[in-house]
Amino acid sequence: MSIEIQGLTKHYGATRAADGIDLALGDAVKVLALIGPSGGGKSTLLRLLGGLERPDAGSIRIDGKEVPHDEETLRVWRRRNGFLFQSFNLFPHLTALENIVLPLVEVHGWKRDEAGERAREVVARFGMSAHLEKHPVQLSGGQQQRIALARAMAHDPALLLLDEPTSALDPEMKAEVLDLIEELCQGGQRIILSTHEMGFARGSADAVVFLGGGKVVESGSATDLFDHPQSAIVKAFLGKVMKW
Amino acid sequence: MWKAALSTFVSVVLLTTFIFVVWVVATHDYRWEAIAPYRNNLVSGWLVTLLISLASLFLSVFIGALLTAGQLSGHRLPAFLCRVYVEVIRGTPLLTQILIGYYLIANAIDWHSSLGVGIVVLSCFSGAYLSEIFRGGIESIPSSQWLSARAIGFTGAQTYRFVVIPQAVRRVLPASAGQFANLVKDSSLLFVISVHEFTMQAREANANTYATFEAYLPLILGYFLLTFPISLLSRHLERRYRYEH
Repeated sequence: MSIEIQGLTKHYGATRAADGIDLALGDAVKVLALIGPSGGGKSTLLRLLGGLERPDAGSIRIDGKEVPHDEETLRVWRRRNGFLFQSFNLFPHLTALENIVLPLVEVHGWKRDEAGERAREVVARFGMSAHLEKHPVQLSGGQQQRIALARAMAHDPALLLLDEPTSALDPEMKAEVLDLIEELCQGGQRIILSTHEMGFARGSADAVVFLGGGKVVESGSATDLFDHPQSAIVKAFLGKVMKW
Repeated sequence: MWKAALSTFVSVVLLTTFIFVVWVVATHDYRWEAIAPYRNNLVSGWLVTLLISLASLFLSVFIGALLTAGQLSGHRLPAFLCRVYVEVIRGTPLLTQILIGYYLIANAIDWHSSLGVGIVVLSCFSGAYLSEIFRGGIESIPSSQWLSARAIGFTGAQTYRFVVIPQAVRRVLPASAGQFANLVKDSSLLFVISVHEFTMQAREANANTYATFEAYLPLILGYFLLTFPISLLSRHLERRYRYEH
């Protein structure tokens, strides 16, 4: 997918979450990883890309199409994409199955039985068939995140946006979820994710963008950025996080 | 150690008080025959109270929901007006509201059914309390749920229908049940506009016979028969909506 971002700015009060982001990525990029320190602007950029927030200034084009500005068209934009959050955000009053079926029926206009079939298919692929009728509280963090991923995936999103999908999980569950995401990458799914998993970013992403202070500090292919970082900030950051 | 002492103390005090009250009430020299001729009046009064309670329950939920919608609408004028309404109703005595509602407002539009006006005034009163309960319930739904609904592509209406209201209902049930029980008991104030409800019948029976306790004791049983099922139903629904396990 091609991504062009120009002068993207978003302030929350005095916090400059996006402070004039410029970025241009070519068509070859299928999986894009956003890395950098917490509070550097990764989540904000993801939300702007996904149409969950509106920028104060600037524009985003994905595959030549500009992310819309009015609520009505933004909703259409959001429906085409899939979004996964750090804290799972499943609906606690619905079973795992209903969590996936509800958006298919109510947002995408599927028939209930078709939606049910599709949900079972995705869940089976994610190894979660035994847990379809459970409510989120009955599931572990990793299981919840897999169901949330199934929900974000079920309608074949044009673009999958993952906001630190494994940050709230313990190491074993992290691995389970990362395996699934890796599998989606292999399957050709277009993904933009923010992550602190440097190994994953390096192994699976076609391009990596380092965000700090609401700006793009450095961007490039995974090998370039991890093996030959140019800026002192990225060098220092990688030095710290790769140390252990 | 002090926990055991405290719980023993509380148990002893409660038990002694209870036994004393039962003993006093049970050993009173009753004249049930004096009140017997008013039996049917008391039953019809109870039925009127039941009717008022049921009608006001539905109407007050409707009014409460409207007031909540107004306050959460995001538009300034309706939000402000609903806020003023809630504050005025909650800050003034129900008795005064019933008198003004019947003798001034209903009179001005030439409506003279004291039962009808009673139901409406009671619903307006209870609706104000319910709207605060509903609003609290909706505002207690975490922002992550709203965000998630937005990301899925739900409209505002869909977010309320599928995500927020189903979760809020369970949270507001206990407080709403309490408010419904209040509603039943508050209906006794409608005697001031001579609605022939339960308490009014007991007052009349007392006035004619001077058998005070014989007239008023049935109220305990009668009102409890109305409020206890509400409490049971609320517990039942709470269990049904409990999706934590």
